[in-house]
Amino acid sequence: MNPEIILAVAFGGALITYLSGKISKRIRDVVAVAFSLSLVAIVAVFYNSESQNVFSPGFLDFPIVIRIDDLSWLFAVIISVIGSLSVIFSLNYIRNRGNTDFFYSMLLLVIASMTGIILSGDLLSFYLFWEIMSWSTFLLISYNRGPAIAAGIKYIVMSVSGSLAMLVGIISLYANYETLVINELAAFLGQASSGYIIFIMVLFFAGFGIKNAIWPLHVWLPPAHSEAPSPFSAVLSGVLIKMGTYGIFLLIFVIIQINIFFNLGKGLLSPRYVIAIIGAITIIIPTFIALVQDDAKRLLAWSTIAQAGYIVLGISYCTSESVAGGLFHFFNHALFKALLFMTVGAVEYRTGGVRDLNSLGGLIKKMPVTFLGALIGVCGLIGVPLTNGFVSKWLIYKTLIINDSPFLAFAALFGTWGTILYSYKLLHNIFLGQLPEQFRNIKKAPFSMQLPIVLLSIPVVLFGVLPGVPLKIINNIQSDLGLDALNISLWGVVSDTGTINLFNIIAAILLIFIIIWLLFKSSKRPANVDQYDNYAAGAAVPVNKYNYTVNFFDPVYSKIIRYLKDFADVFYLWLALCIERAGNGIRRIYSGDVGYYVIYIVLFMALLILIQINRALW
Amino acid sequence: MDRNNIIKWLKFPGEMGQKYSLHALYFCTGCGIIEIPPTITTRWDAERFGVIPVSTPRQANLFLITGYVSVKTLRYIIRSYEQMPEPKYTVGFGSCPVNGGMYWDSYNTIKHLDKYIPVDGWIAGCMPRPEAVFVAVTHLWTLIDKGMANGYKKYREEYKQYRANQEQILGELEWPFLF
Amino acid sequence: MVALVFETFLVVLLACIIGLFFLGLARKITARIHWRYGPPVYQPVIDIIKLFNQTSMSHGVLFELGILISLAGSVVVLLFLPFARICPLSSSGGLLVVLYLMLISPLGLALSGGESANPNVSIGISRKFLLAFGYEVPLLLILLAVMTHYDTISLSEIANKQISSGWSLFQLPLILSGIAYILILPAVLGLRPFEMIQAPQEISSGPYAEYSGKFLAFAMIQHAFDLFIGISLFVNLFLGGAGNMGYFFIKMIIVLIIMIFVNAVFPRFRIEQAIRYLWTWPASLAFAGLIIVLVVN
Repeated sequence: MNPEIILAVAFGGALITYLSGKISKRIRDVVAVAFSLSLVAIVAVFYNSESQNVFSPGFLDFPIVIRIDDLSWLFAVIISVIGSLSVIFSLNYIRNRGNTDFFYSMLLLVIASMTGIILSGDLLSFYLFWEIMSWSTFLLISYNRGPAIAAGIKYIVMSVSGSLAMLVGIISLYANYETLVINELAAFLGQASSGYIIFIMVLFFAGFGIKNAIWPLHVWLPPAHSEAPSPFSAVLSGVLIKMGTYGIFLLIFVIIQINIFFNLGKGLLSPRYVIAIIGAITIIIPTFIALVQDDAKRLLAWSTIAQAGYIVLGISYCTSESVAGGLFHFFNHALFKALLFMTVGAVEYRTGGVRDLNSLGGLIKKMPVTFLGALIGVCGLIGVPLTNGFVSKWLIYKTLIINDSPFLAFAALFGTWGTILYSYKLLHNIFLGQLPEQFRNIKKAPFSMQLPIVLLSIPVVLFGVLPGVPLKIINNIQSDLGLDALNISLWGVVSDTGTINLFNIIAAILLIFIIIWLLFKSSKRPANVDQYDNYAAGAAVPVNKYNYTVNFFDPVYSKIIRYLKDFADVFYLWLALCIERAGNGIRRIYSGDVGYYVIYIVLFMALLILIQINRALW
Repeated sequence: MDRNNIIKWLKFPGEMGQKYSLHALYFCTGCGIIEIPPTITTRWDAERFGVIPVSTPRQANLFLITGYVSVKTLRYIIRSYEQMPEPKYTVGFGSCPVNGGMYWDSYNTIKHLDKYIPVDGWIAGCMPRPEAVFVAVTHLWTLIDKGMANGYKKYREEYKQYRANQEQILGELEWPFLF
Repeated sequence: MVALVFETFLVVLLACIIGLFFLGLARKITARIHWRYGPPVYQPVIDIIKLFNQTSMSHGVLFELGILISLAGSVVVLLFLPFARICPLSSSGGLLVVLYLMLISPLGLALSGGESANPNVSIGISRKFLLAFGYEVPLLLILLAVMTHYDTISLSEIANKQISSGWSLFQLPLILSGIAYILILPAVLGLRPFEMIQAPQEISSGPYAEYSGKFLAFAMIQHAFDLFIGISLFVNLFLGGAGNMGYFFIKMIIVLIIMIFVNAVFPRFRIEQAIRYLWTWPASLAFAGLIIVLVVN
């Protein structure tokens, strides 16, 4: 089977959705859902098959290579599944807005271009699809108007700068080796000098790092993810960031092969350690910044930056377990971050657009399914045992400790505790605490929103209990790329430096929970009390005021709030201001007065005559 | 620990628990509370009787009404009493809950606390010494053993009368009927 | 398989009895320090019996489930800690799994307390998480130093290696880490001066404000298990574990008595003072200890 079928379905779906929107809204909804689900089905057919298709005259006389292998398959599954669930989620979310045809077709176009990125086998088609993804994302981020337009502009400026750096790298590669096909480039780069490799790495890393939101390059992410509509935020955080991860993975493991990358540089200055340290910084700083956020989606956006740090740390550390951990964490993070954005989106939809954590509360009684989804998402984000986040983080920690990098392990472990703090704040301020009176009559989330939430919670728990299923695919990827495969079983990972066996853990937890539950049930039944029958020192419980949400981690705020300005953001704004001022100055050359222009011409002629008299150049 | 009752307690351990672990709600209702800190600290140690102060009514099963009860405080006393889990015991501490005490002719105090919440025992005095608290606790143990400390059951059965009395003196009550 | 189940029950039962004994012993010793008599040592048992006998009020399904999850989380951690050569699940993950399982019980308590809709509970939970955030910095550095020194992540191996090579507390690279651990041990156990999560006078028992009857009983049992786990982790990592149970028990009692002495004398810190303390002195000692271990190995 040819992999172009996937691309045809994806891009065709975007076009046909827009056209059918002109006919009727219902048909367009059905068409959008049908196309996204069929994309999932077609991707599933390609399991475990490797094929490649070369179009010789291709585009601009360059050959276009479309290929699919295990790595592309893993990414394609995530893209199509989260894309289709997000389309289902937006059926109700976008219903009453304007320009809905545009929304659906752009969403499908983003999904299609991401599929194109991972299926491309040469750098030109990679760059083409990358650019399509960039501007369609920009259009969709600005969908909400208002502050979303500024967020979109920040995103597109940074993304285009990254793409230009990538373009310089591509041109340099073509100038040196006359080909852009990835397999051939890998063979050529095997004999390149390490200086040239580092040059190419820096250029490509600028582009991929901006997309992956690594620490100094992350400033576009919080406004973009919080101002975008919620189903698209799920796709952004879940999948778009991972395109940067795919690029980094491609760069390190496919183009520059692993044995070269491992031996570049020496000691702490090798790219391996530098990228790992940047990843560690990316874990810690955004975790602290997420603690002080008051907007639910902005908190989740900063959390995305922190988790992307884990993935980069895992991938660049370059041992077989850490790469497995990084890839598995990419897979898990897509699942639970999309789940969390969807729950926040459901709450936002039902409460009429309220995302402010200081004014919500107690919604567990009104939206129990949403709460359960948020709880499972938060458990996956923290890495509670029995969820998939635990296994991937365990792999990363173990390899960092065993290979004598305890400071990186400390950064990763400390990031987990910060994650616990801000995740609990999110859960508490939205779902726990006192229910405000204005939300007493809101309804449960509609079925089209509950379905993706439930469907995303299932793999979070399932792959936590049976991690062997995704780890088998990751093992195949690793052995393709020259790393050792892990010794996995269905229930865990076995190795001589420490095993993890989830069957024992889950059996122990279940057994003990059942015993305690039986003990609990055998004592007297409790009486149910209202939220207003509460301890208030004997007084009546004040309505809407008996809730502790503002400044939830107050004692730490005052100490650390000074250090939590986003210094990278301040730097970029300063840079933008300098460029604007410089431009303002240069603009004054065009004064509009013809007399000035005549003086310019006369002076320039005089300069030329002077040079000719002295040096006789012409 | 009474050795005679060990067989009975092995069959019904709850009764032993009720006696020897009375957690008192640390709600300072009136001026009589000044006698409680000496009772629970070093000189007259109440913890050897199993009596410790707790801060919320949810965790308490002994309510000491210390000192006079003004009309304003009665609302809070009733609410705290209702939030305590059963079985719960109330002890009127000082002369003022008994019959008005020093404020027998004031317009603002409650003269007969028994009309509004059930009271299991009384300690007379203005203020009673800490030894009187211990006598009251041991007397309460005897009452519990005999099954006569049934204030909470009486409250449940005769709630209508209690509620009528409460509404008569406090006006509109903002919490609904309990039973 | 049968031996495994038997070991599990033995460990859980012993931990419960010893934990409750420690709670009662703490109250008795505190009383004696105050020059008074104090309750009998079996007073926590009487309290729990009374609490099971009382009616209870619940705020919802999550309120009930949360406290069960918290207790289950504590008990599961027990199965991974070696208790004098008995360690039912020693080959399923090691110290990292212990670190992760130790966060199930605060999370369960936090979920259950959050459903209470009481701001005192929320303040108590935020203090609990912040305190844990505070002591995790030195604790992680200490654990990383120990794991790097012994080059393993399995707790029973660390305990076994100390039988041959002496206590970790007296081995030269790990002395600073040991001192740092002693400095943060009151915070891990929740004793004064780090007792601000309960603070009955300030926030009316923090997370336990809305617990009545059997919920409070489960919370007390969970507190007993937490005390046992905290002391047992310290004894296993730094005081050499032990060959038989009696010796292990003696080591635990000595650690407990020292902590009770500290508890009886100090007032409680505010949470920002606690975090400032935990992130300066023990953290720098643990950091120095980690660097020494890295340099030596």
